[in-house]
Amino acid sequence: MSVNLVKGVVKPILAGFGITARRLKHKKVTVMYPEQIREQYPRTRWRHFLTRYDSGLERCIGCSLCAGACPARCIYVEAKENTDTERYSPGERYAVRYEINMIRCIFCGYCQEACPTGAIVLRKNFELADYKREDFIYTKERLLEEYPGQSDEPFKGHYATEPAPVFQG
Amino acid sequence: MAAAVQIETVNITINDIEIAVPKGELIVEAVKRLGLEIPIFCYHPRMKPVGMCRMCIVEVGFKQPDGTVRKMPKPQAACTLPASEGMAVYTDTEMVHRDRKGVLEFLLINHPLDCPICDRGGECPLQNNTLFYGPSTSRYVELKRHAPKAFPLSKYVTLDLERCIQCGRCVRFTEEISGDSELAFRFRGANMQPSTFELRDFESKFSGNVIEICPVGALTSAKYRFRARPWDLETKPAVCTVCSNGCNVWFDYRVGKMVRINGRTNEGVNEEWTCDKGKFGHEFYNSEDRLLTPLVREGDQLVPTDWARVYSDVIRAFANGGDKVAALGGAANSNEDVFMLNRLMTGIFGTKNLDHRFERNLVTGVGEKLGVSEVQSTIASLEDAPSMLVFGTSLADELPIVFLRVRKAWFKNGAKVVVAHHAPTDADSFAEVILRYKEGTEAAVASGLLSLLVSAGKAQVPAATADAIKPFTPEHVEQLSGVPAEKLRVAAELLEGAPIITTRSMYNQASGVDALEALAGLAMVTNGKFNCYSLQANAEGATLLGTKEGMHTHQILNAAAAGELKALWLVNVDPFALYPDRELVQQALENVEFLAVQGTVASEAMHYASVVLPQCAPAEMDGTYTNVERRVQRMRPVLKPKGSTKPGWNIFSEIAVRLRPATPFFNPGEVMAEIAKENPAFEGATYDKLPAEGFVIR
Amino acid sequence: MSELTQIGSINERPRIPTRDEVELNFSDKAITELEALKTHYPELKACILPTLWIAQREYGGFLSGEAIAEVAYRLQRSYAEVEGVATFYSMYNTAHKPGKHKIELCTCLSCHLCGTYRLRDFLKEKLGIGHGETTADGLFTVEEVECLDACDRAPVIQVGDTYHGPVDEGYLSKLIDDLRANPESTVVKMADEMVKVHIRASER
Repeated sequence: MSVNLVKGVVKPILAGFGITARRLKHKKVTVMYPEQIREQYPRTRWRHFLTRYDSGLERCIGCSLCAGACPARCIYVEAKENTDTERYSPGERYAVRYEINMIRCIFCGYCQEACPTGAIVLRKNFELADYKREDFIYTKERLLEEYPGQSDEPFKGHYATEPAPVFQG
Repeated sequence: MAAAVQIETVNITINDIEIAVPKGELIVEAVKRLGLEIPIFCYHPRMKPVGMCRMCIVEVGFKQPDGTVRKMPKPQAACTLPASEGMAVYTDTEMVHRDRKGVLEFLLINHPLDCPICDRGGECPLQNNTLFYGPSTSRYVELKRHAPKAFPLSKYVTLDLERCIQCGRCVRFTEEISGDSELAFRFRGANMQPSTFELRDFESKFSGNVIEICPVGALTSAKYRFRARPWDLETKPAVCTVCSNGCNVWFDYRVGKMVRINGRTNEGVNEEWTCDKGKFGHEFYNSEDRLLTPLVREGDQLVPTDWARVYSDVIRAFANGGDKVAALGGAANSNEDVFMLNRLMTGIFGTKNLDHRFERNLVTGVGEKLGVSEVQSTIASLEDAPSMLVFGTSLADELPIVFLRVRKAWFKNGAKVVVAHHAPTDADSFAEVILRYKEGTEAAVASGLLSLLVSAGKAQVPAATADAIKPFTPEHVEQLSGVPAEKLRVAAELLEGAPIITTRSMYNQASGVDALEALAGLAMVTNGKFNCYSLQANAEGATLLGTKEGMHTHQILNAAAAGELKALWLVNVDPFALYPDRELVQQALENVEFLAVQGTVASEAMHYASVVLPQCAPAEMDGTYTNVERRVQRMRPVLKPKGSTKPGWNIFSEIAVRLRPATPFFNPGEVMAEIAKENPAFEGATYDKLPAEGFVIR
Repeated sequence: MSELTQIGSINERPRIPTRDEVELNFSDKAITELEALKTHYPELKACILPTLWIAQREYGGFLSGEAIAEVAYRLQRSYAEVEGVATFYSMYNTAHKPGKHKIELCTCLSCHLCGTYRLRDFLKEKLGIGHGETTADGLFTVEEVECLDACDRAPVIQVGDTYHGPVDEGYLSKLIDDLRANPESTVVKMADEMVKVHIRASER
């Protein structure tokens, strides 16, 4: 009877603890998100950015090729003509409206592939959750980087730097 | 049925497939019979071939008696090569492929790679041909030719010289089709540029077409510039309603906004051309002045309200009005609208005071008076006429597409055109005889022509007419009108069987009615065809479907000005713009008790309105339009109605139902079925029978 | 020269003149010649080239816009078409007004080998002008042209309707002095000679 107790109950428990004990010396795979952010793979594709040339001019020429390539039909581009007094991009044409519907977007990266000037890029910022549907329409103001090279900076996560927003319903 | 015309054919082989084609047919056309395609740039089926781009090169040989094929040592341009017996054409050999690559590489030497910002990108023959037939890379590393970008050739056309491949389509269009020859190639070699004289304004009335036929983005539309890319656009067939020609167009729109108009092929009407008025005249769809909600007058202002309020106001003013109410306009509305308006006015309100005409002389239509139809020739039939008389109209301004047909008749078939007008017109450039009379002497000239034919014994006319025209000898006419007697005689010689083309603007001339009568008589005695073409989108439909009893426009306006009218309804018309006497219109609109203004865009008449009924624009509703040659064409809805606008027929039918409950019509198809029942002429125009190219009422 | 020169904004540039607005400057002699010319050809289009020579003579050696407009008016062709013809051929002076004498240097192979460019540099030094330029006093224009078909006399230059060659600096220097003394414009004379080629003596 006691032999059975040892064999049937205690031994499996000890074996189980043994596995746990052995695992203790392995490195942890979980990270303390959002305080810590795991490094992304080099080809990760998340949030879109519209980049600028070093001169500060926008790369986007409003050609709509991204919209044409988009399988989810989530990009809307409206173009206008640059003038000498009001110049946004080199050449004749710039995008006056550029919108991406992030709910529709499937992050396939075709837009980046289609772009003739390398204006639209998909970077590693994956924290795209939001509270209102309208906020998922990323307008040109939100997509355009503030200064040349901003989108190339490593992504640190929003929550690591700023307090979590309060849920407002 | 006429006996089939024997066409001489020749036997040729295309890629070793034997086929018989009409003798002299160009190889570039012949290969289409086999479903093959030859890439082209400069060739255009409606213009003479020139062989400038060398894109259509094929290998050609001739069958030898021993059955072998002896090929020519060099490839030939298929666009200038007529088919002849025993010809063997190869479109798919290695040599052809290699040479096409070479041609494209040459064409691309100076062509900038700015396809992403080019308005033609995505629908560009050069892009397509390069993709299908061209080399994948270029070996040219030197500097490309540079020129200023986006030079404004006119307010409609922008020239980007860097992109030009010098195919000459635009130059040939202005020479052969529109006839103004405003474009030509300047300089030569790599510097060759299509441009106007000293780069001045490109003033052609058909300048928009060169945008469409340019095989690259060298000539682009200034109005469409950067507004969309082809894949952003949705395209639906439509009918242009700017004038009465009823051109078939493609209506391109993006997120519910009209973006551009392109020509759509209809051999019976516009072939594939458009005029600038039509191509660039649809801006009102996006206008800020569009009427979107019903308005009602409160004090000095028109305030937005709902349809129920407007309807009740209209009903209170019009119901049981009898002769005290009237309606004006409708010539710009669809057949269905006009029919329902007529029903509402005559059937429900009990008045026959309804007119769409705004000309100065409205006594009785000449056609009615003489018992002849005012439209006897179709546009297409003008092409085959040996001679024509264009009387009292600047055709290129009033009926641009009819003008192109008349010019084509001259250019292709050598028709002799007699042009009679008081001012220089575009048709003068190809006229056989120009009769330039003093303004106001139309009747004298027309009677002079008739009198010449009668006195020559060529025709018999009733005695009364003969007496009336007797004084109009050529010498007398010369005295009156300044047209040399000799010219009049020459012109009269040409008129046997000639279609006579004039427009309803003749009714605006003091002696216009007499002139029209003489012209109708002229057509009768010469076995010609009398055409007094109308000028508004559906004026013919309004004539056919409207009532001819009751007061006409002058009487209605006079009665309104005298305060005798209780209520007046302006249906999609601005009398200030159309009626010659501005003061009378103002008095009429001021003195009428109740003025209902129905329209698409804000107009001057709105300042006097009691209520405003917003109506959808033509492309926002289903409906049919009857053009100059009485061709009924359907325009399916392209856009959604803006705001709370409604189609005209719907407005009329909803009011009718409120007064006399009955099952209303639910769609314009039912209205057309009803029209066909009441008016057998429209039998073939019901929506289930109406062909795509339209139905011509005869 | 061949570049698309921007004439001004679309609202400012002149309209294409209507037929009534064309200024007519042909002399009576020119009109007689033109009438004679018209009888030579089946249609007026064929008259454009010789008529342009008449115009070049009448307008002092330069085919300005007005000259082209007048030719188009007199032949009932479109302005653009006549301008296209005039700008195609390099012997019509359409790009800029030439001086009284146009010195054309042949730059093709034989002349090149025999020193055309030396002559060009000499002219540049003496007159201060290069290819396509005119002296400030409006007397001379220098142009480098393609083969003049006189390789046996290389280096050859053409002044008006006369060939000079072989030419060296001394000859050129003397030629320029002679031309300075010449009151008649060789450019206009050349145009006149070309007109004479087209019209029989009885028709002048």
